[in-house]
Amino acid sequence: MFNISSFVQKAQSAAQQLIDPMQGLNLTNSDRNPSKASLFQSQFRLPSSQTPLFEIPAELTIPPLNVTHGGKDHDRGWHYAGRLHLSESYLCFSTTPSSFAHTASTSTSSTFAGQTHGAGPSGNGFTFPLCAIRRVERLNSQNFQFSLAITTWNGIAQEQAKDKAALKDRKDFREQRITIQLAGNRQVCERFCDGLKKGLRGAVGNVGRLKKVIAECYSEYLLRPEEKKNAASPDAGLGVIFKYPGDPKKLRDRAKMRLWAEYLRDNGRNATLIRQPTFHKLIRVGLPNRLRGEMWELTSGSFYLRLETPTLYIDTLDKFLGQESLAIDEIEKDLNRSLPEYPGFQSEDGINRLRRVLTAYSWINPDVGYCQAMNIVVAALLIYMSEAQAFFLLSTLCDRLVPGYYSSTMYGTLLDQKVFESLVEKTMPILWEHLVKSDVQLSVVSLPWFLSLYINSMPLVFAFRVLDVFFVEGPKVLFQVGLAILRINGEELLDAADDGAFISVLKSYFSRLDESAHPKSENPKLRAINRFQELMVVAFKEFSAITHSTIQDLRLKNKDAVLNNIENFAKRTAIRNLGPDSKVLSPEELGALYDRFYGVLYERQQRDLIIQEEQRRRAKASKSRANETVPEHHDHGVEKGRVGLGPSTSLMDYDAFREFLASVSKWAISDAPPPTPRRDPSDRNSYFGSFRRSDINLLSPWGSGPEPADHEFMQRLFRKWDVTNSSSLTLQNVVTGLAQIKGGRDIMGTITYFFELYDDDGDGKVDREGILRVSEALLFLSRRGLEGSLSHSNSTTMLNGIAETDSASLSPPIGGTINERFLGSVSAFIRRCFEYADPDNLGNQEEASQTINPNTPVISKEDPSIDSGAFAIGDDEDEEDMLAFDSPSSQPNTEAKRPDLEPIPPAIGKPAENASRRTVSKAQSEKANVALDPSNPLHITLPTFRMVVLADELLEQFFESSFPTSLHITDGLPNTTSQSSSLTTFSNLNFSRPATLSSSAAQPGLAGAGRGLRGVLDNIVTDASRVAAEVRRRMEEAQRELEKNALPGQRDEDEEDEEELPGPIKSTNAYGGDAERRSVRSSDRDLLDGADAGAGATKEADGSSQSLLDTNIEQEGRVNKVSNTTERIVEFES
Amino acid sequence: MADSNAPKPSSSVKLVLLGEAAVGKSSLVLRFVNNDFQENKEPTIGAAFLTQKCNLPSRTIKFEIWDTAGQERFASLAPMYYRNAQAALVVYDLTKPTSLVKARHWVAELQRQASPGIVIALVGNKLDLTNDGEPGRGDGDGEGVEGEDSGDARKVSTEEAKSYAEEESLLFFETSAKTGYNVADVFTAIANAIPETSLKSTRGPGASNAVSRGGEEQRVNLNGPRETAKEGCAC
Repeated sequence: MFNISSFVQKAQSAAQQLIDPMQGLNLTNSDRNPSKASLFQSQFRLPSSQTPLFEIPAELTIPPLNVTHGGKDHDRGWHYAGRLHLSESYLCFSTTPSSFAHTASTSTSSTFAGQTHGAGPSGNGFTFPLCAIRRVERLNSQNFQFSLAITTWNGIAQEQAKDKAALKDRKDFREQRITIQLAGNRQVCERFCDGLKKGLRGAVGNVGRLKKVIAECYSEYLLRPEEKKNAASPDAGLGVIFKYPGDPKKLRDRAKMRLWAEYLRDNGRNATLIRQPTFHKLIRVGLPNRLRGEMWELTSGSFYLRLETPTLYIDTLDKFLGQESLAIDEIEKDLNRSLPEYPGFQSEDGINRLRRVLTAYSWINPDVGYCQAMNIVVAALLIYMSEAQAFFLLSTLCDRLVPGYYSSTMYGTLLDQKVFESLVEKTMPILWEHLVKSDVQLSVVSLPWFLSLYINSMPLVFAFRVLDVFFVEGPKVLFQVGLAILRINGEELLDAADDGAFISVLKSYFSRLDESAHPKSENPKLRAINRFQELMVVAFKEFSAITHSTIQDLRLKNKDAVLNNIENFAKRTAIRNLGPDSKVLSPEELGALYDRFYGVLYERQQRDLIIQEEQRRRAKASKSRANETVPEHHDHGVEKGRVGLGPSTSLMDYDAFREFLASVSKWAISDAPPPTPRRDPSDRNSYFGSFRRSDINLLSPWGSGPEPADHEFMQRLFRKWDVTNSSSLTLQNVVTGLAQIKGGRDIMGTITYFFELYDDDGDGKVDREGILRVSEALLFLSRRGLEGSLSHSNSTTMLNGIAETDSASLSPPIGGTINERFLGSVSAFIRRCFEYADPDNLGNQEEASQTINPNTPVISKEDPSIDSGAFAIGDDEDEEDMLAFDSPSSQPNTEAKRPDLEPIPPAIGKPAENASRRTVSKAQSEKANVALDPSNPLHITLPTFRMVVLADELLEQFFESSFPTSLHITDGLPNTTSQSSSLTTFSNLNFSRPATLSSSAAQPGLAGAGRGLRGVLDNIVTDASRVAAEVRRRMEEAQRELEKNALPGQRDEDEEDEEELPGPIKSTNAYGGDAERRSVRSSDRDLLDGADAGAGATKEADGSSQSLLDTNIEQEGRVNKVSNTTERIVEFES
Repeated sequence: MADSNAPKPSSSVKLVLLGEAAVGKSSLVLRFVNNDFQENKEPTIGAAFLTQKCNLPSRTIKFEIWDTAGQERFASLAPMYYRNAQAALVVYDLTKPTSLVKARHWVAELQRQASPGIVIALVGNKLDLTNDGEPGRGDGDGEGVEGEDSGDARKVSTEEAKSYAEEESLLFFETSAKTGYNVADVFTAIANAIPETSLKSTRGPGASNAVSRGGEEQRVNLNGPRETAKEGCAC
């Protein structure tokens, strides 16, 4: 157990390290300890394919030629000390102190990175795609220095059409060349350079792509020599056609453009841009219209996404051309209402662009699809950038900048509102107090600010200035601006006492942003400052303490509460929205059902993630061993599955369904012991090995829960519930399905339900196979004991007295007795079914019933004794299991060891194999049971079925109460050891068989597994009396043992005793039982051979008691795990 | 407090509009507030806030109207808006049966989660698209209208909706925001249905609610000094 949990932990932490913290908003460890890779990606706004490979302290020198405003630093240009980072395809330099190196311990890294927390490219430096680097040279071979000169492809686009000589003369073009001096010992530097070399070599092929991508950048056009400008300029948004919002003169657009042109000339453009202090200043004063789109793209990092997959936008549109979706319907409704006052969106052109971008995004991110407010944001983007640029920027927004804002639950929006509220409380306590007192809910006002990034709240010109900064500095800007708005309007807001007043104060403030902030001031300079400028100053000066990490911390703190709120709401809604079927279940049941349903889906998804990550990690490990750098693909680390986070799963597939059933009913738990990672596959029972599913050594595919069984009954149930034939269940399906079973507690209903489950073609008839399957299902359902109100009186038996005494002496065994008695009922059921079946072609019926009849009464009489006997040795059944699996080996000692008490149950349970143990040969049994002769097709109808069921008290009780109550929706499974130990009889059922069974059933005649089953059933019918007699004898033996031993609940302590138990039993056993087996074995050897049982049988048999011990340990562990599961579910509910 | 004794006391009522997307919530409000019908309105982000006075013989009610976004995913924001609401308009589209289903959900949600005693009106909109309404081109602020010109587009019978409304003790109206039919009546009926007790406090904007967030006893007590000053500030 220890091992399992530690493995799981390891795998989880491995998985979490790959999750991006910005997108995260998870309450996992990754929040608190975001991975270096994700911080690195956020810091430089790189695609999630990038991981930090090397980093080294370095000094960046930008030669004087490139200096915008020279003179400051001698004549030697500018120097920046910082760190140089290398990823798969990027070389980044930043003066912001942050380290993402592998070598840095987590704590070092988090304190270090804590300052930036992946805040974005705020420092000075650059982010060069490696394909934008033309040349790297080692400078001066002085030993104490290690310098690189980097020449970029800056201006590559314009260089193309040139005659080189002419260009060289030009003053306005020069190669961008910077030097970087690496600090560190020679070895480290060499290693970094080797990495760089490798990266550069790999990037050579991408230069062409880079050229294409930058061709869409306006800067290329801007910096082109005048005479070459007649070529069409790149798409700089709708503004080019419909004018940009605001008065360009007032905005001083030309001046800004000149400044930018100069800056870009000196410091490189787009891919080769170097950030110096002027860069940030230029952004703060507002971007010029035509460069705005490109700068947004660069600073947000969406440029790098576009560089990675330049044609994704076009390809997506092509791929989904003409397809419909809900999102598209929703988009359609809003197209006319997106910035309708802007002329571009009164035109077809504008509307079409908007439609295409929103639609394309809804296809690549169906989880988000379309959310109102995205239309406004995208409309705004489209004024300044091309469709493709807007598309990638939208993607960056949704994934990184405002994660979860537009998700289907909008949890990000709600979370940031909580964060904002706590910031207000912290920074403006008086205002906050006033809000609380007057019961104004702040988010009513502020939510639209965040959701539409102020675009809908402020006049466009100002909203765009906020965006300018937002894309560089990240989400904290939204908070800073929001706080500044409240601060500036503080006094008026203190007078406002309700939502309405509050809103109107702010509305009027926004409408006067262009007015002077100090209209009455003497100082003309002060008077010239407008309210918006004031707002920016307050936001970035007064609230400069609000950093990216502040926001991250607060998000973390509030996340759980927010998600819980959403989940409660979702749960409420979902439950209310369930159809009329749900009325038959109690609200508690529905609530619990909801939790279980989503709990299972959530757990499964988490597990999948972990397993995937683990596999990826392994793949990566093996690849890196092969010395390759393979771009790693992790999906956006958004934690999925949790209801509050989005709709990603609301469908339950069959495996999830099994898991779900296993959490509510004990019969749905597999009989196989849980996986034992410690054990080598080779020494594992080969039989298990074969039917255990793809075994990821590290993790059970079933997580901490018990492994669910896989029985034909469950498949049928699944198909029945899956009314739409979609191979998946919705919550509604599950509720409806359960309602049908648990709902009325009407025995007739349950019987009919069961019948229909097996009436494949719906013709009101269940044929021979069906009958056998029904009985198999009955045994399957009862093999861990029956629940519900079962009568303890033994009216059907002659052995009443004995049974009663048994019950008295074994306190829990009362149930056991009944459970075992149920076996008899089932065999009687089969017999009666065949007896009363309607032949498909009349004629054989009489014969059939005649032959069977004589035997049967005995069975039911004897049953109780079988039962108590079997129960009595219940505790060593597990050992039996192991033996049973090994039984194919014809080792006498295995045989001898086998107590003879349980032959019937395992025989039924594992038809294919165990049929062979019956005394009676196939031929004999067939003679005895003409009804079983396939040449006489027959069927039963619902009335017959009903009659047969009602003819037996136990069966009646089974349908009346025990089956419906076996599904524990609200209380879950009792977490007791009895869960595993009460597996008294059928513990070694192999229920993965039915697949074979059904396929072979299709074949004519007696073949394959079908024959086995039939043989078993024959034997039940014909041999029960003899078996029962033996069992009675054995029972007395076992009774003694049991009295000596404690109750099943105490089994832990009894394990050692149990091991010795087989001894005495074995001796009683020796006669009839052994003989039975021998004859069977000889007749059915072929079956056994088929069962893949040959090799290693002896060994396994020897080791079996050892493995029993293991099993028991595992089972304890499993119980622990079960309780874990419940705990988790409880958390989920809370 | 002077106001409440005046011949025509004025009080504020917080009203929230809920309903599936494109049933015409915003259009109803616009018709009521501005007696207008508008083609391209910006979609409601979160919720739009509007006010309108409603004159009753005995008093004036100032409606503070929260018009919520209809898109499904905004549903989880709704509690923020219906919190403390004294009245709710749950709107469905007469031509779209699913919208009534959604309306039922909202009614159930309100009955369980909103202030007790909230006055709920069930409103079937787009009557103009049916034979009962005046022949109209199409209702709706650009939000999908599936009007079949061939005549009656009604898919939800008056009886069905009405009997449901009676079951749940809701006010019930069929309206057309396009033609304005019945729109004012809805609001007047709501104004009349608001119990006197919850008006006493004049909802001096929020004064009555000041004490506890989300409690319900709040409405009765605490006629804060602020209320008179607050009259009409929020328009």
